[in-house]
Amino acid sequence: MISIKNLHAEVEGKPILRGVDLEIPDGEVHAIMGPNGSGKSTLASILAGREEYEVTQGSVTYKGQELLEMDPDERACEGVFLGFQYPVEIPGVSNLYLLRAALNARRKYHGEPEIDAVDFMQMAQEKIDHVGMSMEMAKRGVNEDFSGGEKKRNEIFQMLMLEPNLAILDETDSGLDIDALKVVSDGINRLRSPERSVVLVTHYKRLLEHCVPDRIHVLYQGQIVRSGGPELADTLEAEGYANLETDEAAATS
Amino acid sequence: MSAAEQIDPSIDHYLAEFSRIERDLPGSDDSKRVRSTELKRFAETGFPTVRDEEWKYTSLAAVEKRRFEINDESAAIDKSALDAFMPKGFEAHRLVLVDGYFNAGLSDLNDLPAGVTVRSFADHLRDNAGVGVKAQEVDDEPGSLAAMNAAFFTDGAYVETASGAVLEKPLHIICVSSGAHDDRMTQVRHRYVFGENSQATIVEHAIGLGDKAYFANVVTEAVMGRNAQLKRVRLQEESERGYHVSAFFGQQRRDSRIFNHAFDLGGRLARIDTNSRLVDQNAEVHLNGVFVPTGRQHMDNHTMIDHDTEHSISREQYKGVLAGHGRGVFNGKILIRKDAQKTDSDLSVDALLLSDKAEVDAKPELEIYADDVTAGHGSTVGQLDEDAVFYLKSRGISEEGARAVLTYSFANALVEQLGIAPIERYVEATLLKKLPGGEAFADLA
Repeated sequence: MISIKNLHAEVEGKPILRGVDLEIPDGEVHAIMGPNGSGKSTLASILAGREEYEVTQGSVTYKGQELLEMDPDERACEGVFLGFQYPVEIPGVSNLYLLRAALNARRKYHGEPEIDAVDFMQMAQEKIDHVGMSMEMAKRGVNEDFSGGEKKRNEIFQMLMLEPNLAILDETDSGLDIDALKVVSDGINRLRSPERSVVLVTHYKRLLEHCVPDRIHVLYQGQIVRSGGPELADTLEAEGYANLETDEAAATS
Repeated sequence: MSAAEQIDPSIDHYLAEFSRIERDLPGSDDSKRVRSTELKRFAETGFPTVRDEEWKYTSLAAVEKRRFEINDESAAIDKSALDAFMPKGFEAHRLVLVDGYFNAGLSDLNDLPAGVTVRSFADHLRDNAGVGVKAQEVDDEPGSLAAMNAAFFTDGAYVETASGAVLEKPLHIICVSSGAHDDRMTQVRHRYVFGENSQATIVEHAIGLGDKAYFANVVTEAVMGRNAQLKRVRLQEESERGYHVSAFFGQQRRDSRIFNHAFDLGGRLARIDTNSRLVDQNAEVHLNGVFVPTGRQHMDNHTMIDHDTEHSISREQYKGVLAGHGRGVFNGKILIRKDAQKTDSDLSVDALLLSDKAEVDAKPELEIYADDVTAGHGSTVGQLDEDAVFYLKSRGISEEGARAVLTYSFANALVEQLGIAPIERYVEATLLKKLPGGEAFADLA
């Protein structure tokens, strides 16, 4: 699905990513963990196309295409979805309107006709039920007056509607109570299929208990310093990130 | 004063123009005397210049150098020419003025309720010798352009509501500049006289057809009786070479309310003065305005709320959206006189700059002589939130589309306060059409 090779990036001249290598095969869920400031969110943002980061070296291939050469909207039309850590509010533009516009933008990109209004509403109702939102909320302005947990549910609702090939969820599990966490993890599990891949950027093992990843990678000081199966989460919880430095030293010596 | 200024060729032109049409202007002999006085007042100062503090950022040089002629009659226009300007689903009584004259054929005033008069102001003046060209109750109409209007106006709408009368359906007043000839001017004056406890919604809709240069000068007077309520909508869609000047003078008695909503979307240059004087207790005025200069448009809003006595309320919110080389000006003056204790007033103006060539000057101006008042004010100038732009792009919306949608969101917060759904939809759709990439999102409205 996506292949990241020797990715270096900086913001305002300060290096953040210092040679990330990562392969995510079709159908797999990979988690990226690591301490604050390790570059997790930067990596997610770069994949989605945020412009304030400068990629200085390396490449990202998505479904055989150079991802970094595509505009963010083009990436979305090609099936990349970013779940935001801090979703924005857009009063006066309803959640449903945004989703219909997003679906139609993608259809137009692929030369397909616009989505039928009845089909769209049926689909929306089904997905709204999955994430425990109400139709009334979906008709409100995008994230307008939503609580933190509601915003994250809404991100998952959008993800289920847009059915991406590659979903990148940037700390979508942060700040959630257990009910909302279950909604998020159920949403991800629903999306799982042989042709879709998911990248979970997270601080917490809690999400990974409900949504078991195929692989876990530890990002530290801008590099992947350790990769492993789901059991790595337990190790990290027991030992913390404290001995990563020695790992890194061992790896480079 | 230099000799050159004394014989200003521009003023000469308008003096000659007045002599040419004077005998056809409606009104009694008294009215004609007032018109002459007003003409002199205009001639003394001429068109305002940027040396005038009130016109610091708005130059009328382009208007002054032209020689606009007043229309002798209205051009014949087809009803279908107005179709594109009719808000869908908007049920209203309709009074249409073409080139400054009432057009009965295009108007629809058949089922007015008892106690409500709506007619051509010219007809009203002809039928009532006692009615003046300026409302007695509105003590002052400052500015040389208001004077020019008082001298020249050919027609307008006259609305009178008897005590307790309610106009259920809004009145839609359409002022069309036909664009049939080059360099024409329309001078139109509306008068609204509201009896006690009466209520009406009036939409003043300025429309320009064609691509000829013209000058539209509109004055509206509103005399509000006790506990009366006016909801007034100004919808300005002059054409690309239209110069639009509009002044509103409100006079508010006890418990009366004015809700004024202005949407400036068209014209080459627009200058809007909105004034209301709250002469009695518990009078209330709300001024909302959205101005959207794009391309090379220039839009200048000046407001003046005069709190004369205690316990009156004013609320003012303006939003500017400026794109291209658009130029915007806002000056909101709130005067709280010595006796106006317990005044409750708030003013905010927010401007959104969509291009680095656009420019706005926004200034609240509070003048307070009473010591026990609440008077808040705020002003912001900003750009679109880039995080929000990225959010929309990450969902597949194009860059232009994302900017149009977010701009819509910014303005919509004020548009939706109007409370007349068909006009809200119409304004939103027109706004989206003005924005690059916005057309694709016209159904947001």
